[in-house]
Amino acid sequence: MNTKIKVKVSNLIKNFGDNKVLKGINMEVHDNEVVVVIGPSGSGKSTFLRNLNRLEAPTSGSIVIDDTDIADPKTDINKIRENIGMVFQHFNLFSNLSVSENIMLAPIELKKATKEEAAKQAKELLAQVGLESKYNATVQSLSGGQQQRVAIARALAMNPDVMLFDEPTSALDPEMVGDVLAVMKQLAKQGMTMIVVTHEMGFAKEVADRVVFVEDGNIQEQGTPDEIFNHPKDPRLQSFLDKVLNV
Amino acid sequence: MKYRLKSIMSGLVVLFSFFVAVSFSVTPANAETTYQVATDSTFPPFEFANSHNKYVGIDIDLLHAIAKDQGFKVNIKPTSFNAAVQSVQSGQMDGVIAGMSITKEREATFDFSKAYFMSGVVMAAKPNGKITSLNQLRGKRVAVKTGTSGAQYAQSMHKKYGFRIVTFDESNDMYQDVLTGNSAACFEDSPVMKYAIRQGTKLKIYTKPALSGPYGFAVKKGHNQKLLRMFNNGLADLKANGEYARITKHYLGAKGSSDTTSDRTFIGLLKQNKGALLSGFKQTVWLTIVAIFFATLFGVIVGLLGVVPSKFCNGISTTLIYIFRGLPLLVLALFIYTGIPSLTGQKIPAFLAGIITLMFNEGAYIAAFVKGGINAVDDGQMEAARSLGLPFGKAMRRVILPQGIRIMVPSFINQFIITLKDTSILSIIGIIELTQTGKIIIARNLEGFKVWTIVAIIYLIVITLLTWLSNWVQRRVRL
Repeated sequence: MNTKIKVKVSNLIKNFGDNKVLKGINMEVHDNEVVVVIGPSGSGKSTFLRNLNRLEAPTSGSIVIDDTDIADPKTDINKIRENIGMVFQHFNLFSNLSVSENIMLAPIELKKATKEEAAKQAKELLAQVGLESKYNATVQSLSGGQQQRVAIARALAMNPDVMLFDEPTSALDPEMVGDVLAVMKQLAKQGMTMIVVTHEMGFAKEVADRVVFVEDGNIQEQGTPDEIFNHPKDPRLQSFLDKVLNV
Repeated sequence: MKYRLKSIMSGLVVLFSFFVAVSFSVTPANAETTYQVATDSTFPPFEFANSHNKYVGIDIDLLHAIAKDQGFKVNIKPTSFNAAVQSVQSGQMDGVIAGMSITKEREATFDFSKAYFMSGVVMAAKPNGKITSLNQLRGKRVAVKTGTSGAQYAQSMHKKYGFRIVTFDESNDMYQDVLTGNSAACFEDSPVMKYAIRQGTKLKIYTKPALSGPYGFAVKKGHNQKLLRMFNNGLADLKANGEYARITKHYLGAKGSSDTTSDRTFIGLLKQNKGALLSGFKQTVWLTIVAIFFATLFGVIVGLLGVVPSKFCNGISTTLIYIFRGLPLLVLALFIYTGIPSLTGQKIPAFLAGIITLMFNEGAYIAAFVKGGINAVDDGQMEAARSLGLPFGKAMRRVILPQGIRIMVPSFINQFIITLKDTSILSIIGIIELTQTGKIIIARNLEGFKVWTIVAIIYLIVITLLTWLSNWVQRRVRL
């Protein structure tokens, strides 16, 4: 594995008023690494992910991405975000724009591409997620799984080198989940650095280089999928796995 | 976004100051020789619009004759009696001639000319003879017009004779109240009452003129003394050369200027008043257009201030909406027109005051639904846009606003229609728009029902057109 550190999180604390959600998280993510974050609801894993591109501002601690501390309020977060793609649980496609316009908006607005270049790229990205026929479609005409694949294509349009996935399949009907996971697997294979919050344990086992178990605002245990799923040490992880695997 | 907002704001300021400058320049440049004199819009035979929509009457003719005699220019501005008096007090206007009685109370704040007319208060009631003296008024309602000698007389008599007082802004409304039987009688200046009866008002005068009071031309105490001197000198000249007698006889003599003989059908009324109605209609439309423009600008800016990520801006937005949505439009109009000049000494033309009033009031409503429309867009849309690296302003413009505007469009159309209707309230500060035009016509011919019907139909037509226009625009931009 490439040993270059892409993301380094040190002592990350996030409070919402009196509610301490993250209690001092330390974590490193290497280039090309796929990290899957698991844990029970309310454990703070989504908040953790949203801190990584400052959709939530950290209360304290540092998040260094490519030598820039994004927790520092002086950092131009817009520039950093261009390199960090994010995929949301509820897709959040821009409902006033068509499928292709969703993908082309950021590259054109942020002057990364001309209209023609952006259109060409949108076609390629739609082909990559298996939706080339939906180029001119409205967002409203797509199924949930299709919307999520467009959302992935939209995030990829800025050529990010890190992708954040916040429970990307939780809002999908079961038959749609496979298509989305397939796109994500393909991305992982291409060497994308990915941090994925998910309840899809199958995906974690198959694709993750490392699995991180978050509970009560802290990383309780981390390791390879084999270590986490077959030899869990922390009793809370054992109980969590009991619940999610033996349904 | 900050810079953009700044440039929008400064643009607004420039536009607005231009507008202020234009409105001010309506008052003639050589203000040294042209005096601005306020008068009542509906007080025949002293001042009223004739069927050619030209202001005539004893006061008007006298003042013009005096101005000619003394060699000064005068611009007479009709408004309501209260607004006329207040506009002189606040320094908006140089003088007032409006059948204004010289009283001790008024002398505390006004300097009066020598009396130019002797009037007196009479009681008028229905000619069926049920009420023929003050003694029969016990327990009954008596109608008066605000701020008149009649009202003062009623105040001084109501304990003794045991009647209740109801006040009206317009003479015609007061007569109507007696005619419908709501009030038993009204107190009115005798020349005014005589004129109204000659115009066809079915009332009869039952008392001799009481509280016989002199009418005077007034200026703000300690101000415009030269104007006052010229008025007195001119009046003396007119009395000496017979011009005074000619003018009063023209309006009060047996063969006065009356238009009882004219056609009183709907078509007839429409024909006689088409000039006045057309100019009132134009004023209403113009007020509406300018008000919608500035209210939308104000509302959108204040609404956006409410959603930018700044506690300070949000606070400003909330406060502005709270204040201007909370104030009744009428109060706001009077406050801006008469209140602000009293504080600053700076005159505000009525039209400008009207526009400012509507801009704040309608703008506050617009701000509220602009804010609401933006807030109604799912938070995830903003998060997704920001996560792509779009700055707040770009995200707002490309993603949030297009969705928010779609939510706001019906509210906008609604607000535009409300703005059109609310322009009628500005008649209170003397803007002669459609409603005020109606009042003025009625003051002359006392055909309340028919004239209001015509005015109502005109409003409905304009509102229908505005609705069609809005729908057409909505379809065109495919929102």
